[in-house]
Amino acid sequence: MATKKVKAGPFEMICLTGARCLEDKTVVFVGTGLPMLASLFAQRTWAPNCNLIFEGGSLGPILWMGLPLSVGDIRAGTRANMVKGLCAVFEGQQRGWSDYAFIGGAEIDKYGNINSTCFGPYQKPKVRFPGSGGAGAMAANSDRIIQILALEKRRFRDKVYYITSLGFGDGTPDYRWKAGAHGRGPYRVITDVALFGYDVGKTNRMMLLEYHPDLSVEQIQDRCELELLISPDVKPMPLPTDEQLNLMVTEVDPEHWFLGKMVED
Amino acid sequence: MDLEKKFAECGVPLGKKPDEDKLPYIHVVKGQEPYKKKYFAPMREVDKPKDGIHSDIWNISEVIFEERPYVHWGPTPDEARAIKVKENKFLYDKRTTQSEAVKKLIRPGINLGVAGFVNTRCPFSIVWTIVKEALCNKTIQATDMTLSFQSQSLCVEWLLGAMMLDNSRVSVKRVELSWQAFEVIGSGPMWTHCVQGGLIEVDDYTNYGASSRFKAAAMGIPFIPIRDSGGADFEVTNRGVMTKCPFTGRNIYLLPACHPDVAIAHVTAADMYGNCRIFGQTLTCQEILEASVAGIVTCEELISNDAIRNYPNLTIIPFLHVHAVIPQKYGGYPGAVWGYHWFDMDFLREWRATGLELRKKGDIGPLKAYYEKYFYNCDTWEDFLAVVGYKRLANVRNLDMGQRVILD
Repeated sequence: MATKKVKAGPFEMICLTGARCLEDKTVVFVGTGLPMLASLFAQRTWAPNCNLIFEGGSLGPILWMGLPLSVGDIRAGTRANMVKGLCAVFEGQQRGWSDYAFIGGAEIDKYGNINSTCFGPYQKPKVRFPGSGGAGAMAANSDRIIQILALEKRRFRDKVYYITSLGFGDGTPDYRWKAGAHGRGPYRVITDVALFGYDVGKTNRMMLLEYHPDLSVEQIQDRCELELLISPDVKPMPLPTDEQLNLMVTEVDPEHWFLGKMVED
Repeated sequence: MDLEKKFAECGVPLGKKPDEDKLPYIHVVKGQEPYKKKYFAPMREVDKPKDGIHSDIWNISEVIFEERPYVHWGPTPDEARAIKVKENKFLYDKRTTQSEAVKKLIRPGINLGVAGFVNTRCPFSIVWTIVKEALCNKTIQATDMTLSFQSQSLCVEWLLGAMMLDNSRVSVKRVELSWQAFEVIGSGPMWTHCVQGGLIEVDDYTNYGASSRFKAAAMGIPFIPIRDSGGADFEVTNRGVMTKCPFTGRNIYLLPACHPDVAIAHVTAADMYGNCRIFGQTLTCQEILEASVAGIVTCEELISNDAIRNYPNLTIIPFLHVHAVIPQKYGGYPGAVWGYHWFDMDFLREWRATGLELRKKGDIGPLKAYYEKYFYNCDTWEDFLAVVGYKRLANVRNLDMGQRVILD
């Protein structure tokens, strides 16, 4: 392992791009899996005072035992400022604790509504997923939502089968307010080959901000069923440096659950 | 509502009160019509989206859903309170064995509240005992159950797997939940199999939605207002109601309280009366236990009541909500228990591989072999742990890296 160089695969891209969206001195409510990678990486680089909330009940832990494999993991609670339960952190979130929610899902529509419940009829679905988990509450109550999905045609759709995590609803400006939700809504969509934002305050539709240098803007649009807006400032996204890759595999995910799986010969 | 019947079958020791026939605090509306699906029926007629409740969500997604009348999936708030009021509330020795506790409290048709969270501090040994007694020993019938929880993994999978083997002994009719899978390892094969096959009725909430429903029940109130679920398809499919806040005039989503008949939990330490301490994430254990009519608790350590009284602030679940206490080391294996052990990922993977054989290939053989190995061939949870082996238990214990707990 030591002699071989790690390649920047999709997970490494998501880790870096996700982390780039986080600011220091903020509080982030983190979902399970890829969001943890990105927040942990941000914490180890430019956002050391970015405090994390895990829905198991921990606020501001120091993740010295490695990547948590669950939001209720012991590892997500070590050296925390506070450890309580689900109600405590979700209520804090309703109160206004978290600046960002970091969530995933199975499919997303052009207004940033995410489905993580099912494909097909709700009562007898074609495909049933685990369900909302904390994502639905995080999307409704954090100030801004950062979303992570793989860029595939079947995932970036015009309409989703089920709205689990509320985005901008039907795109009208007061939808979230009428829905009883807090927060400004979706902020960024992180994928392995593109970074999206939203045309906030106008159409509230998803907008391409950055694309992988190996691909073109058209190729990104081809990978989406939904019609993208293209930012006037659209640009290629930075790739992880050797130093960043090294940090990812030695400190963020040393057990290689996600990172460091692809190595160059 | 037949309260006498509820009293008789709840399994909780009830005291005699001088005025028990009167029970003036219970108000029962006989033959009350269940709700039709609430808000959007009138809203659609009125069709005034301006300051009304937002109800135009059907057009935003492709959700396909059949409306269902509102019914309680367990005891009503009034029933749960009536039983709590009538219950024996003094300190008495509640130590027992898992088999005895399960035989006494688990019965067909109950709502079973499962505490813990995904793989963290879940009541694995109690669920194992339910499956063992119902499926293997045939001493109880764990049929037509409703499961209520926020997020679970193998506990629920074991029950659903047992249903696949013999649904006359173990069966799950409905699940009210937020999430069911294995986090990094992937989906829950039995869960996917059962829901996609239309075998169980589901009712989805967010993790906070599910937790707050137990919280409302624990608080003794019939519903709780929350800020999520509205505007998403939960508003269409689950049993909550969108309403207008009488004070701010803004829309707010109400969820009904959830009272299980029996709650099961694994905690760090408890005394013989059922006072429980929990270290690490407390999850929703307190709320689920306090919401439930009866509570079964396994603990890593049995501590004295004297120790409890040294730090009464550390009592998370008070004795009033616990009816059986079982000291059980590794009662949360293969999940993680703060201060004792971390997850056994290989054990969880073994289940997933077994379940996928049934889900993808329709082959029930591996599932039978799994239950043979881990249930039929083991008389007790200790036997199960012996099959798992000391090496693996020692390994997961080391991975906890010595988180601190207070036991004195």
